[in-house]
Amino acid sequence: MAKAEATLVKAAAGTRGSLAAEYRPRPGTTDEMVGAGGEIRPAWRPLIDRLDQLSRAEIDAHFARADRYLRDAGVHYRSYGDGGSDTREWPLAHVPLLIEDAEWRTLAAGLVQRAELLERVVADIYGDNRLVAEGLLPPQLIAASPEFLRPMVGWPPKAHFLHFLAFELGRGPDGRWWVLGDRTQAPSGAGFALENRVATGRALSDLLTTMNVHRLAGFFRDLRQALFRLSGQSGEGVAILTPGQHNDTYFEHAYIARYLGLMLLEGEDLTVASGKVMVRTVEGLRPISVLWRRLDAGFMDPLELRHESRIGTPGLVEAIRQGGATVVNAIGSGILETRALLAFLPGISRKLDNRDLALPHIATWWCGQDGELAHVLGHLDRMVVGPALATVPPFDDSGGTVLPSSLKKKEKAELIARLRASGGSFAAQESVTLSTMPFYARGRLEPRPVTLRAFAMRTETGWTIMPGGFARVGASADTTAIALQKGGRAADVWIVSSTPVEQITLLPAKGDTAGARLPAVLPSRAADNLFWLGRYIERADGIARVLRAYHGRIAGAPDPRNPALAAIRTGLRDIGVDEKQAIPPALTGSIDAAAGSAGRIRDRFSPDGWLALLDLSKTAHRFAASVTPGDDASRAMTVLLRKLAGFAGLVHENMYQAVGWRFLEIGRRLERALEMSRLTTLLAGPDAPAELLDLLVEIGDNVMTHRRLYKVNAGRLAAIELLALDEVNPRSIVFQLAEIRSQIALLPGRDGGLHAQPVRREALRLYTDLAISRPEEISPERLRAMNHAIAGLSDLIDAAYFR
Amino acid sequence: MKYDIHLQLDYAYRPAVAAGRHLVRVAPANLGPFQRVVASSIVFEPVPVERTEGFDFFGNAMVSVAYRDPHTMLKVGMKARVVVDAPGATLDMSPDLATLRRELGQFLSLAPESPHHFTVGSPRVPLDEEITAYARESVAGPATARGIVEDIGRRIQRDFRYDSKSTEVETPPKRAFELRRGVCQDFSQVMIAGLRGIGIPAGYVSGFLRTIPPPGKKRLAGADAMHAWVRAWCGKEAGWIGYDPTNGTFAGEDHIVVAIGRDYQDVAPIAGILRTSGRQRTSQSVDVLPV
Repeated sequence: MAKAEATLVKAAAGTRGSLAAEYRPRPGTTDEMVGAGGEIRPAWRPLIDRLDQLSRAEIDAHFARADRYLRDAGVHYRSYGDGGSDTREWPLAHVPLLIEDAEWRTLAAGLVQRAELLERVVADIYGDNRLVAEGLLPPQLIAASPEFLRPMVGWPPKAHFLHFLAFELGRGPDGRWWVLGDRTQAPSGAGFALENRVATGRALSDLLTTMNVHRLAGFFRDLRQALFRLSGQSGEGVAILTPGQHNDTYFEHAYIARYLGLMLLEGEDLTVASGKVMVRTVEGLRPISVLWRRLDAGFMDPLELRHESRIGTPGLVEAIRQGGATVVNAIGSGILETRALLAFLPGISRKLDNRDLALPHIATWWCGQDGELAHVLGHLDRMVVGPALATVPPFDDSGGTVLPSSLKKKEKAELIARLRASGGSFAAQESVTLSTMPFYARGRLEPRPVTLRAFAMRTETGWTIMPGGFARVGASADTTAIALQKGGRAADVWIVSSTPVEQITLLPAKGDTAGARLPAVLPSRAADNLFWLGRYIERADGIARVLRAYHGRIAGAPDPRNPALAAIRTGLRDIGVDEKQAIPPALTGSIDAAAGSAGRIRDRFSPDGWLALLDLSKTAHRFAASVTPGDDASRAMTVLLRKLAGFAGLVHENMYQAVGWRFLEIGRRLERALEMSRLTTLLAGPDAPAELLDLLVEIGDNVMTHRRLYKVNAGRLAAIELLALDEVNPRSIVFQLAEIRSQIALLPGRDGGLHAQPVRREALRLYTDLAISRPEEISPERLRAMNHAIAGLSDLIDAAYFR
Repeated sequence: MKYDIHLQLDYAYRPAVAAGRHLVRVAPANLGPFQRVVASSIVFEPVPVERTEGFDFFGNAMVSVAYRDPHTMLKVGMKARVVVDAPGATLDMSPDLATLRRELGQFLSLAPESPHHFTVGSPRVPLDEEITAYARESVAGPATARGIVEDIGRRIQRDFRYDSKSTEVETPPKRAFELRRGVCQDFSQVMIAGLRGIGIPAGYVSGFLRTIPPPGKKRLAGADAMHAWVRAWCGKEAGWIGYDPTNGTFAGEDHIVVAIGRDYQDVAPIAGILRTSGRQRTSQSVDVLPV
């Protein structure tokens, strides 16, 4: 049979050694590319022909372009294993899944019908409970679900519960598409679908046009409009609510926030005031009108939902009940993901709409009913059995869902006993075989199982389905191993038309231009992280400079009597650095802390800036493992300093110089002022020998300037003039204070500016005090007091803008 | 019986907390003819910037308060006058467990009073095999659901030691069961886990106990703080029945209901108190005097 099919494929392909000819779908399954008669489906023909025109090396080169794009854009997801979590590169399957648009329209119509039904079901669960009263939905199933959020009962949202949905789809052996699960809580993947498209476009760009592939940009344009429409006329206060950078799909949250120009907020950014949802910004509290949540609703409010939640906002539920903000999707919508609920949707559809669901879902039985339990026990070998309240499809469920046919006799008997004892805890589903699609590996195409995630969004005129989606391709031919967490791959989905499609170019622009569309208000937490990013980067720079000077001096045959050595050791120990370590933890720690701050505000960063930080961190850790004190360390510092300067340059040249950038700049300047005042205190005391003054000038990066300005060693006052008082030296203390003062003056006022007055006054005072001083007035005591006051300014900034 | 109730909850924070929002459930409930609130008031110190009142899903009255400025203490004072008219010893109209299960299956409702909310594990009271096995020992004896409830409650009172040092508010019922020790919260949560385990819907009740017993009777345990007991659904006819496992008695005229829920989390007197950071001193006093 398999051989006969292969011959047919070869005949159809007509090319000796073509990719299609070597492709052998498994008998008994549906294949997306090859029809039952062995023919290549028409939609796939141009793609296959195109690939067959290329040599294997050329195909590899094309696909490598897609991978390079994903790496450069920093696309990743987070994977959770036994040993914590780590970030993984995005695993793209390069061959897209192709679907003809006639078939897609049928599928989309079925999804729209389903979305409408789901809306009516969730409205009833949190409303009149007619479905329960009429026996269409068992009350014990709803009441037992942790996603039945009682604080929302009787408080329907103004218009709708559901606005953005995803559906897991699979195609069965009969060639029909089946719904495997509904994602109603906080569906992810739409942003990844977009990235898959951009990446696949890099590999096969001309085909997107010649094959008339439907664009995704229109869907996102409509999505943005829909969210802004929910906010009322203003279009203000639309935000994505993320659980934070440790979430497995945080990258996507930041990506979509950047792409659509929405605020990216965490629970701590929000507060409730007089029944309204507000965001803490550097300009005070600002109203929020729409929250597109990307976290499970249970975590949103520790007062009324999960008490242990540390990522929620106390009082949010009460504010939302009072209509304080629209939540996408409404709190409580997660109940619709309950696996056993699938058993009741067909009956509900018949009752409410007087028709069957056009798009069927995987046959499901809730074992809490005697008749259904008997049926399940009678056909156990054709089922998968799992928790009734599970909210993931069986193939995504790493725990709890079993295939009875694969169980040992004893295990099976135990399962039957559990089903009889507490059937209500279990749902059984027909065991499905997925269709396969071609996956390119090692120069050939192999059939791999595939599921499709489709996305639906409510617009003014009703539900609209993204013309494309997110395909997941199995890591092996085994249909149970599809989950991405288990090493599956993601593929783009092309809906191909026989006629040209609308051309919309909303593809993300390269670089940081998306920043121009960022919302005008800056959340306090983002400002805080930007400020500290600036401080940590500058701190790393300061430590590296001192270390470079030190290791340069101990290289070769150092003079132990050089007073500079002892002074540096003191200077290093003051900030917790042991000079015997070539790359001390304080240095790697500062760089990691910078990356940590940046990681919490990925939406405000260009991929280039982020990758530069990661590279910096990787380099520092690599050095820490290998570099030895002396010349080696000195050269390593030069490398790190160059990379630090590179990052600073990226920020300066590419970051939109809005309020956020000012905080980063203030952070950098403040840290540098602290470091320079500390070093000047240490190295330019009244009796400082020439070696110390040289050291100070070297760390201050001003050797050239110094030599030019002061032909001979002009002593202590000249060094102080240069490093404390020179208004045009970008490393002098007064230069930092001048910059801090002018940036602070440009920050937006809060509460009419009153709140920030102490900050502005202190910045002005610090600058003026120093600017009018003469070098001989700059004593170590004065410098120490100034250092202290600059640290105090940091606290004032914190209190005025970040609380 | 008519009572005057005074509750005082005091929290002292060090260092000061910057802001706070709390949900407070401390006032006696209006339960129609069984418990009528003549008057009640709650006073907060410092005065909150926001104060709203409402009802939760189970119909419990809650007060939400917010503070936006740093504060070093919080005082909640509640005063109420309540008339309790508990039904005396009534006939046992509850069915056997098999009938109870059937009646439950025919109970097509998700209303707050529906027993379906109280049949499975809840956030603070997960089902536990050992507690279920303990409860099941009572099934062999009495023929009715109410009889079983009473038997389990009596056994807990007999087998467990009242010991306020052995457990904390976060102690899971499994731990209290292993220790066979605890306070009213532990006794109640163990009993709830046991009842649910054998198929009797059971919920958590918070409230007050009469402080000084009637002449000739023993002072009840747990009267010096807010109290907790259990309510169990004993079928269509009998409905919800209150049982106090700490004192081994049905809830009666000495029990004043504040809130009902699935477990402590649903009825916590005050939610939103910082537990983890800084140091915090708490004191609680309760007076329940017949008038």
